[in-house]
Amino acid sequence: MSWDRMTSVPSLLLIEDDDAIRTALELSLTRQGHRVATAATGEDGLKLLREQRPDLIVLDVMLPGIDGFEVCRRIRRTDQLPIILLTARSDDIDVVVGLESGADDYVVKPVQGRVLDARIRAVLRRGEREANDSATFGSLVIDRAAMTVTKNGEDLQLTPTELRLLLELSRRPGQALSRQQLLRLVWEHDYLGDSRLVDACVQRLRAKVEDVPSSPTLIRTVRGVGYRLDSPQ
Amino acid sequence: MTKPQDKLRGWAAARRTVLAGLRFTSLRLRLVVVFGLVALTAAVSASGIAYWLNREAVLTRTQDAVLGDFQQAMQTRASTLRQHPSQGELQRAAGQMANSSQRFSVLLIAEDANGRTVRGNSDLDTFTLEDVPRSLRKAVNKEQKITSNNKYAYHLYWQRTVQGDKPYLVGGAKVIGGGPTGYMRKSLEPEAKDLNSLAWSLGIATGLALIGSALLAQAAATTVLKPVHRLGTAARRLGEGKLDTRLRVSGTDELADLSRTFNRTAEALEKRVADMSARDEASRRFVADMSHELRTPLTAITAVTEVLEEELDAETGSVDPMIEPAVRLVVSETRRLNNLVENLMEVTRFDAGTARLVSDTVDIADQITACIDARAWLDAVELDARRGIMAHVDPRRLDVILANLIGNALKHGGSPVRVCVREERADLVIEVQDHGPGIPEEVLPHVFDRFYKASASRPRSEGSGLGLSIALENAHIHGGEITAANSPEGGAVFTLRLPLDASEPKDPENTGSADTGPADTGSDAGRTEGGV
Repeated sequence: MSWDRMTSVPSLLLIEDDDAIRTALELSLTRQGHRVATAATGEDGLKLLREQRPDLIVLDVMLPGIDGFEVCRRIRRTDQLPIILLTARSDDIDVVVGLESGADDYVVKPVQGRVLDARIRAVLRRGEREANDSATFGSLVIDRAAMTVTKNGEDLQLTPTELRLLLELSRRPGQALSRQQLLRLVWEHDYLGDSRLVDACVQRLRAKVEDVPSSPTLIRTVRGVGYRLDSPQ
Repeated sequence: MTKPQDKLRGWAAARRTVLAGLRFTSLRLRLVVVFGLVALTAAVSASGIAYWLNREAVLTRTQDAVLGDFQQAMQTRASTLRQHPSQGELQRAAGQMANSSQRFSVLLIAEDANGRTVRGNSDLDTFTLEDVPRSLRKAVNKEQKITSNNKYAYHLYWQRTVQGDKPYLVGGAKVIGGGPTGYMRKSLEPEAKDLNSLAWSLGIATGLALIGSALLAQAAATTVLKPVHRLGTAARRLGEGKLDTRLRVSGTDELADLSRTFNRTAEALEKRVADMSARDEASRRFVADMSHELRTPLTAITAVTEVLEEELDAETGSVDPMIEPAVRLVVSETRRLNNLVENLMEVTRFDAGTARLVSDTVDIADQITACIDARAWLDAVELDARRGIMAHVDPRRLDVILANLIGNALKHGGSPVRVCVREERADLVIEVQDHGPGIPEEVLPHVFDRFYKASASRPRSEGSGLGLSIALENAHIHGGEITAANSPEGGAVFTLRLPLDASEPKDPENTGSADTGPADTGSDAGRTEGGV
């Protein structure tokens, strides 16, 4: 994600089957200053994604045909662009499945346009560059200038959220950060942040950076507190 | 530590069982007693009669034979003696008389020629005149008038005596016409022994009959009580909610009828309960579906009302002043509708039992401050909480509880509202106290009821009427509790009590995910801990 693209008007892809919600959200988001493309089904959305290359996707969970989780999974196979889930049900199983299929954040309907806009901007900010140094953790090299992460010299494909999480952890190596702290730093959520966002993101990040994701040596769990980034011994 | 406890528990259980057995066997006990009494009466009367008849028969036979022999001997030996026999003759005659098959002792008394009384004994050591009862002696020596009915002046008399625990037959006769007087004594010991052994046998037979009757009573009680016991167990299971409990019906007696009636009742009950729960389930599902359906249009409306709101807040003149109040009304009522639907969904989740905790370790003081701050209540609330009280709770649900309690206090009691946080052992206690008029006594038990209005005349509050109910449910899902009371210095006090670590209660599957997060495996967490 390049710097100049961030300064331009962000382009969004909204995938939502209900006409009224789609129209209303399009109206609201456009007024907040986004360029919005819309699709009514998951299939249309995936097609539009290939043609338009948006900066972010707002994705409804309940879709006719392939559902939101499946769309999310298919996007993640090739792309690391941010996805915000729009879930009509705040039922926990939906949230967990959504986060496991690779979503960066979720909002619960009925959502206020202002809240959705804030979440979108927070997600987009995660790709912003802020320092010009780099850090090394074992075979992992985090280049804060280029906003890239390499493992054994190989480029890792991280979503902006995963990258930001890694950056926040790497800024305080060896220090445990609570889930609530991480929610504020990475997701810019208020005091009611859902700790499962952190857990799901840590899991995805481990799958990419750890040698053996089930027994992590870099991103360690500190029971009762949160997570911490260590250099492997 | 556990051993004496186990022992105690074992004792208690045993005592309970025994007590239950006694209580349960009262019918059994009664049956056994009745059977026993019947058997005892029958056996005792039968053996009593048998013993009595036997005794009479045996004694009479012996007695007849002995007395017959004695009479014979008196006639043949004593009456042939001289009128005044000498001591020696008398002694000899007594010895001869005693030498019969019946083995009795003989004592002969006569007057010799000098007018002295002489005695002849068959065995001097054992049988003397002192052994003959006085009444018998008198009867034997009494001369009776001779009438047509009574041909003889003297008769043969006999009597049964006991000397030194031994039964004897003693008889006596006088030879008519001035002959000697003769007494005999016969030991009845062999007969007594026979009769004793007969009595023993009869006693043993009676005992056996008693035991047999007790066993029979047990068997009878069991055949009656077993079905009753089964019925009792089945009824208890039914009461515990196992509505599919049925009895096996066998036979055609009254107990089988009772079992059939029980089965029919259980069936009817099961059907009714199933009907009712199905109806209940249907209405719950309806509310849940309905609130889901309401959400979709609400989402669209919410997104658009915001656009309208921004239009109002933007520079003046963009909205027709005539229309402005209408737009404001739509905006505010949409927000209220949103809250109502949100609360309704929350309630249906609690009712359906699908509500889950998403717990995290948080600083309580920070959470309360943030909650108050987010609702712009900072000026109206006094917070008494030290930082650093960490609790493992669902932050969103804690916020719902606090917002409802503080909001309620502000609405009904007015500011300032005092919020006080403290730790009590493993519990987190948060008190919310207002300075209003307090809660009327009759309302106090209903403050957590859904849509409860203190009075019909009271204006509709802006809340949904679900707030405190939802707060209470949220406390319960944490394994906590909220209580309402009036403080002595006036004003209502709501006390929230939550376990400091809410990941323990009820829901094990949730506990795992809340504790370490879905991303972590248990081994991971444990290993990392070791590495710290």
